[in-house]
Amino acid sequence: MKVEGEHLFKGPPQQVWDLFRDTDVMAAALPGTEKMESVGDNKYEAIMNVRVGPVTGEFSGNLVISNEKFPESYTMTVDGRGKPGFLKGSGDITLLDQGESGTLMKYVGEVQIGGKLAGVGQRLIDTVSKSIISQAFETLDRVLEERSAAEVEDREVEYQGASEKDYAAAIAKDMVGGLLSTSWAKWLIGVVILVIIGIILIISYT
Amino acid sequence: MSLVELELSIKEEQIVEYKVIGKRVKRVEDPRLLTGQALFVGDVNLPDMLHAAFFRSDYAHANIISIDIQTALEIPGVVAIYTADDMGDAWEPGPPLVSPPPTLENVVFHSRRQVPLVKEKVKHAGEIIAVVVAETRYIAEDAVEEILVDFEPLPAVVDLEKCMEADSVLVHDDLDSNLAAHLKQSKGDYEGARNEADLVIKRRFELDRGAAAAMENRGIVADWDQKNQHLTVWDATQSPIPIRNGLAARLGLRTHQVRVVAPFVGGGFGPKIMMFYAEEMVLPWISMKLGKPIKWIEDRRENFYATTQERQQIHEVEMALSKEGRILGMNQKIIHDTGAYDPYGLTTPLNSQSHSMGGYDVKNYSSDLTVVFTNKTIVTPVRGAGRPQGIFVVERLLDIASRDLGLDPMEVRRLNFIPPDAFPYNHEIIDQAFVPLVFDSGNYEAAFNKALEELGYEDFINEEQPRLRAEGKHVGIGVVPFIETTGVGPYEGARISVEPSGKISAATGVGTQGQSHMTTFAQIIAEQLGIEVSEVSLVSGDTAEFHWGTGTFASRGAVVAGNAVHAAAKDVRHKVLKLASKILETPEEELELEDGTVRVADIPEKSISLGELALLANPLRGAVEPGTEPGLESTKYFGPALGSTAFGVHGMILEVDPETMMIKIRKYVAVEDCGTLLNPLVVEGQIHGGVSMGIGNAYYEKLHYDENGQLLNASLADYLIPGSTEMPQIEVYHMNTPAPNNELGTKGVGEAGAIPVPAVFAQALENALPDYDLEILETPLSPNRLFELLHKREENS
Repeated sequence: MKVEGEHLFKGPPQQVWDLFRDTDVMAAALPGTEKMESVGDNKYEAIMNVRVGPVTGEFSGNLVISNEKFPESYTMTVDGRGKPGFLKGSGDITLLDQGESGTLMKYVGEVQIGGKLAGVGQRLIDTVSKSIISQAFETLDRVLEERSAAEVEDREVEYQGASEKDYAAAIAKDMVGGLLSTSWAKWLIGVVILVIIGIILIISYT
Repeated sequence: MSLVELELSIKEEQIVEYKVIGKRVKRVEDPRLLTGQALFVGDVNLPDMLHAAFFRSDYAHANIISIDIQTALEIPGVVAIYTADDMGDAWEPGPPLVSPPPTLENVVFHSRRQVPLVKEKVKHAGEIIAVVVAETRYIAEDAVEEILVDFEPLPAVVDLEKCMEADSVLVHDDLDSNLAAHLKQSKGDYEGARNEADLVIKRRFELDRGAAAAMENRGIVADWDQKNQHLTVWDATQSPIPIRNGLAARLGLRTHQVRVVAPFVGGGFGPKIMMFYAEEMVLPWISMKLGKPIKWIEDRRENFYATTQERQQIHEVEMALSKEGRILGMNQKIIHDTGAYDPYGLTTPLNSQSHSMGGYDVKNYSSDLTVVFTNKTIVTPVRGAGRPQGIFVVERLLDIASRDLGLDPMEVRRLNFIPPDAFPYNHEIIDQAFVPLVFDSGNYEAAFNKALEELGYEDFINEEQPRLRAEGKHVGIGVVPFIETTGVGPYEGARISVEPSGKISAATGVGTQGQSHMTTFAQIIAEQLGIEVSEVSLVSGDTAEFHWGTGTFASRGAVVAGNAVHAAAKDVRHKVLKLASKILETPEEELELEDGTVRVADIPEKSISLGELALLANPLRGAVEPGTEPGLESTKYFGPALGSTAFGVHGMILEVDPETMMIKIRKYVAVEDCGTLLNPLVVEGQIHGGVSMGIGNAYYEKLHYDENGQLLNASLADYLIPGSTEMPQIEVYHMNTPAPNNELGTKGVGEAGAIPVPAVFAQALENALPDYDLEILETPLSPNRLFELLHKREENS
């Protein structure tokens, strides 16, 4: 499955780069995250709990950054496994300095999925992933804004990530314009959260 | 629905008038089935029964580095967890079920069979690595989730052509390539025919996979009784006797120590054949190891990954024709995907190879068959078993050739049919029966004309279609004749016994998955013994009751078991009359057997009931004459040297919405000839079910594998099976051209309904969309796929 897109962040490339390398920020942005830590210079490990709908279980992934050209581009490889299946992919991320407007992030990658994730979740992944990506960027935008504001006001950063529930509900709503029934939404949440792990890690996490 | 029964056969002298056979007797099994009183494997619950759940690979191709079961073992309620190493000598691949035909020369065949638990390398997603035994299925499933297997993922082999490239990854590392089998079959001189042809067309056809998707998934309960030294296995299988024989051999038991029961089974369709699925081998082994009963019922997701599938093939075909539309010859290259293993040998592709000429008289034929291993679920026959592919190919080519030659496609078919006086017709090509095929009988043109007439073909083409087109409707018609080789050996048997109550007990090894054996076999018995169908109690599929035979598959039950039942019933009738003759002191010829009573024809009050005769046939002390065999009982077998060739024609008028590509079937006609009809109701039921499966194969059901061997629609939410809203009203018309090679004259009909449907769809869709210059060379289609094809055509033009 090909993943491709772009997003404009309101901040300079260096700041966006730092944001992606901050495991605390990423852990907060990704609901269900139990552990996210650096295990070496360019290696990270994450464990996430997925406990919604028919797709439940722990999913652990590791992530390797390579081809780093600070603050312009890098390649990311992700390998995640868990009860819901597996996920493997790599993507190239480019940060383009847009001056006043901020930083344009472009990403292109290939993801392989398997197991329940593929067999049961496939139909929705394409649509859902687009929604997840925009949701993820909204979250990261808020972090970036909060960080900039805190820097200007010279105070501690007070940012709380969206809860698992808020996140999934927003995605479900986004996806079908709020037409989904509750049970459907619950089912979707399962798929959504699984996909979050892969796609967000790939596109926005270093 | 108008259901008309017709007997159009020109060979009327062969048709026997029956009293019970051929009547629309309601199914005697239905009251139990419809009120939930029929036993399925899922209903078997024994004291202290344990439950199994399986750890299956998510990867299609991967080496196993390590397996960690420690955490899982610590879960309360988990009794044991086994991996391949625990099985010791009991670990061995499944038996080769069907070897290549011994009569074929220069056959390459690499036999690679599925294993009970994977030792080193996973070869398709869903293969089993470990089995958890627990007090409940809940606990077992939870424990499966705690098993940690470290895999080294490998690139998957998926594509039927790329897998044969020199640098392809290998499914089986001990082989030089992914070639599973190769053979050629030919007759006549294709090259010569090609040189004389006025038209040679060449096309490439791609046919893809579907699931059998039986309503009841697989299921097994195994119960080892230590004190009795006896193993009982309830198995939702089509073939309990081979399973019993195989289990006994594998577990080091005598056959009488193993009883396999296939109770009511909710649909077989081929994949429930005597596979020796991993689960079928593992559960009895565990029961013996632990001395307790153990149960496993397959869930739907497991069914998508672990139950066999069919139909993926590529055909590159050339057809040479005269300008009049006569087929001079055909040449084809077939690639057949067998999945990760090939336990079922060449049965399916041989059927494609032999059915690619349909019921047409083609003198020159040459074909090259390659079977390849891929990292996908194993392929074995699914209702139709290679025949739908063959029929699709030949019927599509005739449609294309008719168009190119400017001929009426229906006339071209008539021109090529094997004529009624050409039977037995030496077809020469070897099919699943493993001998050069001979078509025993047929009357193809009559069936074809009947279908055209009932469908209103001329009216539709000349009046209705132009009128509807003028209204802006996209309506099309398709008519496809087909043949089906049925009733293959080796043999089946039956035992029939008159009870002292006057009722009849019967048993056969051919289990039931919905075929109505309890009704149709009872009709055969009732015909001979002059009793009501309801007086017969038939046990099928229990090795304790009958233990010789192979099983229910290949459209052979009514032919092979049916004729064994017939032979046993005749023998019992003979015994009844012989004994009655002695007691009533009347010659046998003057006796009548009716209403459960033997009477002297002229003196009706001089009579004796079947029950009294049965008592007398079990003599007391002093009444025994030397050489007496007790009972009014007989066991007989039937093993046909040649099968019988059924045929039929399906026709359809459909309407396509060119915006959504959704279709509506306005009329569906099926003309079927399966020789002597045992019960028209049952035959119609088979046709309805077959057509439903065929509609799925044609327009809804396709298993989507990605390039990593991952199945992308492994749920019934994504894998679409036709429901009642997709089913048309089907008009079934019966013809009867009795099979000459068995006494009842029966031919099989279990698979027939599914065979022509994809070809009918393709023809009707092209006919409905004349403006698009559409050429359908693939199946299954779907609304999506049709949309893509139409837009591809538009872009090209």
